[in-house]
Amino acid sequence: MSTQKTLLERRYATLGMALIAPTVLIFCAVIVYPLFSAIYLSFYSVFTPTLEGEWVGLSNYSELLQTGRFWNALGNTLIWTIGSLFLQIILGIGIALVLHQNIWFRSLARSLILFPYFISTVVAVLVWKWLFNDLYGILNHLLMKVGIIEFPMDFLGTMPNAMISVILVGAWKYFPFVVIAVLARLQSIPESLYEAAKIDGAGPVARFFDVTLPQLRDVLVVIIMLRAIWDFKEFDMIYLLTGGGPLDDTQTLPLLVYQEAFALNDMGMASAYAVVMMLIMLVFMLVYIRRTKDDGGV
Amino acid sequence: MAEVVFSNVQKKFGTFTAVHGLDLNINEGEFVSLLGPSGCGKTTTLRMLAGLEFPSSGDIRIGSRVVNDLAPGERDIAMVFQSYALYPHMTVGDNMAYPLKKRGVKKAEREAAVAKTAELLQLTPLLSRKPRQLSGGQQQRVALGRALVRDPQVFLLDEPLSNLDAKLRGYMRVELVELHRRLGRTMVYVTHDQLEAMTMSDRIAVMEGGKLQQFAPPAEVYAEPANRFVASFIGTPGMTLMDGDLTRQDGCWTFSAPGLSLPVGPLKDIAQPGPACFGVRPEHVRIGEGPVSGLVQVVEKTGHENIVIIGLEGGQRLTGRVPAPQSWTIGESVRLSFDTDFAHIFAAGTHGERLNLTQAPRSANHLNLTTVKTETQS
Ligand SMILES: Nc1ncnc2c1ncn2[C@@H]1O[C@H](COP(=O)(O)OP(=O)(O)OP(=O)(O)O)[C@@H](O)[C@H]1O
Ligand SMILES: [Mg+2]
Repeated sequence: MSTQKTLLERRYATLGMALIAPTVLIFCAVIVYPLFSAIYLSFYSVFTPTLEGEWVGLSNYSELLQTGRFWNALGNTLIWTIGSLFLQIILGIGIALVLHQNIWFRSLARSLILFPYFISTVVAVLVWKWLFNDLYGILNHLLMKVGIIEFPMDFLGTMPNAMISVILVGAWKYFPFVVIAVLARLQSIPESLYEAAKIDGAGPVARFFDVTLPQLRDVLVVIIMLRAIWDFKEFDMIYLLTGGGPLDDTQTLPLLVYQEAFALNDMGMASAYAVVMMLIMLVFMLVYIRRTKDDGGV
Repeated sequence: MAEVVFSNVQKKFGTFTAVHGLDLNINEGEFVSLLGPSGCGKTTTLRMLAGLEFPSSGDIRIGSRVVNDLAPGERDIAMVFQSYALYPHMTVGDNMAYPLKKRGVKKAEREAAVAKTAELLQLTPLLSRKPRQLSGGQQQRVALGRALVRDPQVFLLDEPLSNLDAKLRGYMRVELVELHRRLGRTMVYVTHDQLEAMTMSDRIAVMEGGKLQQFAPPAEVYAEPANRFVASFIGTPGMTLMDGDLTRQDGCWTFSAPGLSLPVGPLKDIAQPGPACFGVRPEHVRIGEGPVSGLVQVVEKTGHENIVIIGLEGGQRLTGRVPAPQSWTIGESVRLSFDTDFAHIFAAGTHGERLNLTQAPRSANHLNLTTVKTETQS
């Protein structure tokens, strides 16, 4: 093997460069530039409407670490992300397993299941706010009728109800993604593996744990990583549902960034929060890359 | 205690019947091959026996138990799948240990059994690999190992050697026969390779179009094919089959085709004058002298023998086979005759029944004739 590049190799290399150049340019414009300007802004104290301010060095960061708001938001973000992700995965796998069976309404159910995922967040939140409403909401009405509660419950205005409601709506909205991804994988597991397991004496439960789950492992790693990142930075649903309230009990990091930037008009501080968020997500990314590199999968 | 019995088993997929009223009595400890062309229902039959497919009607019995309502795991069988079906996330060792584990065998015992089977199948150096790190042939041996590691009543094998190279296949054939002799277990072996079926089986069940065509020991299937299909399917190169007419005069039968008129031996009572088919295996065609004449069209040299294809005057082609030193040149005109003792007459139609009576005692007769032939040749 000579290290000298042949003419053909050089021609391929040039063509390759030419083909990826537009992507790289656009990537720089919409990702790299905003990223660096956020980092840049986080060292300034900036008044949002004028975008003018002065260099303050690391003081945004030290303030961030000292005030309770950041830690509170981080805690909320973790609770929300873990809670909703957990439900999404359990619900997603469960329903995917059901839909994988040969039931007659399978194709109809498969399209219906996508409904929450495709519906616009604003519409979904409006509907859920109706359902949750303490005066005329159907949820309270039903719960009272069945006799579980005596007085209407405040689903969104008190804790821990608000956080639970946010987590439930999040799980409802995003579990279809898990269903679709898991279902696609389930369909590609060869039937003969199950047959071999049957002959080897494995019952339904053993078949799930010994055949299905190991086969789902790779896709689950991807789903969990993607959903964790997406849930971590979820903004619109939570903002519309509770606005971060009551007080700031459901205020997650993205809401905090928004509040700093556009309510408190401190773009510098908001950038600092955003940069820290990015660093945390970088950890997810590194774990993900490690996981997928460890073992090329099956 | 593990004979396998199919009684009038039928399998339908929707309106398509994959297996028609199958009756099969497999004795305890017997090695039986299901042989037939692709799509003839071999795998379906095996899967019904395994409990992976449910018969539309009829009963399947293993030993003293009717197994129609037993789950695959309860039938005490082991199976090698056509597609291997190895668990991709488990190592070779874990794959082989899995059936034992699910039956509650202790770890130490499991390891000993796996080590022993791995040794037999030359898998020992591969035990810690994952299936995807193996070649097709190696995967197939692991699949075989997963079945052999247990000691079930019946082994079901679905074309377990189809992906091995010729040398390994030969080796595995011998190993399997040896293994079968040692274990004394019933084995049902699906294959479309007649060489495998002929060399390994105690009996062969020849299937076609979902129907059992013949169920007999290899020598019998070869020498006394039940019908025209079996005759044409078994043997390489295949039996020459010529369509013609059967006539009877003074109790003696004559087969005639364009350019050909042959007296034939005693026929079964059901024989009727009319259209029929004459069949003769290549080794029973004597080239050199005789009443029939033809032109050599093709000579295939396989090394130890030559396959000679001869065009007859009537347009039919005929295949003969001669030991290597004898050969003919293409275009040469030759005369030939048939070993009429070994020629067959079949009723008309693709599955026409064999009409000639068996020459008894077959094997002795056969041996006898071979020696006579050798003598005349030398
Ligand atoms: N699940 C099924 N649904 C419908 N038809 C089927 C099904 N399984 C098998 N068949 C049909 O039944 C027939 C027998 O199939 P089978 O798999 O038993 O063939 P085979 O003899 O094993 O062939 P091969 O040598 O190619 O493996 C085929 O015509 C096939 O198309
Ligand atoms: Mg098959």
